[in-house]
Amino acid sequence: MNLPANNLAIKRISASAEPATPGIREMPEIAKLVDISRCIGCKACEIACKEWNDLKVEPTYNFGSYQSHVDLSPDTWLLMRFNELEIDGNLNWFITKDACLHCEEPGCLYACPAEGAIVQYENGIVDFNQENCIGCQYCVAGCPFDIPRFSKETRRVYKCNMCIDRVEAGLEPACVKTCPTNAIAYGTKDDMLALADQKLTILNNRGFAKAAIYDPEGVGGTHMMYVVPHGDHLPDYGLPEKPVAQQGAMAALAVFKRIGAYMFGAGILATALHYLAVGPESPDSDNGGG
Amino acid sequence: MRKNELERFNYGQRVVHWVVALSFLLLMFTGLAFSYPSLTWINTLLGGGAAARVIHPWAGIVFSVGLVFMFFMWVKSMFLNKGDREWLAAIKAYARHDRERIPPAGKYNGGQKIFFWLQILLGIFLLLSGIPLWFPEVYGSGLLVTMRFLHFVLALGAGLFLIIHVYLGTIAYPGTLGAMLWGSVTRGWARLHHPLWYKEKAGH
Repeated sequence: MNLPANNLAIKRISASAEPATPGIREMPEIAKLVDISRCIGCKACEIACKEWNDLKVEPTYNFGSYQSHVDLSPDTWLLMRFNELEIDGNLNWFITKDACLHCEEPGCLYACPAEGAIVQYENGIVDFNQENCIGCQYCVAGCPFDIPRFSKETRRVYKCNMCIDRVEAGLEPACVKTCPTNAIAYGTKDDMLALADQKLTILNNRGFAKAAIYDPEGVGGTHMMYVVPHGDHLPDYGLPEKPVAQQGAMAALAVFKRIGAYMFGAGILATALHYLAVGPESPDSDNGGG
Repeated sequence: MRKNELERFNYGQRVVHWVVALSFLLLMFTGLAFSYPSLTWINTLLGGGAAARVIHPWAGIVFSVGLVFMFFMWVKSMFLNKGDREWLAAIKAYARHDRERIPPAGKYNGGQKIFFWLQILLGIFLLLSGIPLWFPEVYGSGLLVTMRFLHFVLALGAGLFLIIHVYLGTIAYPGTLGAMLWGSVTRGWARLHHPLWYKEKAGH
């Protein structure tokens, strides 16, 4: 199994029988906090993401939305989604920063059958290692947020890695760095939760009574959180209300596999014991009569 | 076919059998490597995990098509009759090689017939459960998880089937393998294992 030689301690490894080697370094969980109410829709974060990660520019077209592209792709790891909706006769913009949320309980990692193709670091970043990826796309189905994208060209899956190379060097992710309105904050998960509470109070005071923090429990919380002005309209933001990682089912499958291995071994052993007990059955003579 | 032997499987049947057998082995070994990361080296030998991921479903198609041929080649001979039920009732005697107590079998004994039907069923459900795994992005997470369980359990059943099939076809009953290699068996073998077929074939 090839793992990247970076300095971050690993917490979880996909399809690994062994738990990650416990690290001694103290690495707090990090998080991004996206305050949708501060987003002006400039999409500088999309460009910064492409530039930092050396991702191909994809031609697009006007499909009647303020959005740059229709969907995420292997070359587009971040897409600002602009959903227009009328509420009480007023036009509302539901903006979402569609990119990997870096779940604490990552559905992609649990679903992945290729050892080391997906790793989770102590700081919360969930990263894909394409050299271990077999292109099965189970992560695509396992992700409750529909984030990973399969490249038909390389037959591997790609997504946002929270600029792990920047984070490792003590820098903030490129999208955070570039945001002109500080709509994306970055820091330890604890600090971001505290900041989210402050932002929630501000939104409540501005009249957004249903404003909410999006840090869903079903996936153990995320390392990209949202503060959304309309917390009662999560699906309109494209955010699932109750995302789950299905770690229970995957753990059960692992038990099945263990039992299966024993049964396969027992089958071979049983035939061997049968042979030793009764031996081969051959005709007494081969002239056959007839 | 060898001289003085009785023809058991014709050329077409043998070709189909080995196409199914080789595609099954490919499916089993790549599948094992997908299921058990400690066996990843098997896929490495086959060109890497990504290559194995491409090979596996196509081998599944070859296997399924082969199975369709098998079904139509053998289905007529595989319906259980009264003699087969008697044979199945005496399966313990068969396992003990207790010749006196094994009711005479025709070209295929009751166990072989049951195995035929089980194999066809396993093949159908392996194919059906395999399709969502081939295109996981099309299907939801819930269905995929269910199909991964189902596909694994069915594959395990097929693997256990293979162990018994290979054992019985080789070391347990010497002289059997030739039926699938050059197509014929000795008269002694036929008289011992499939006496009713022997009578019919030898004209006695």
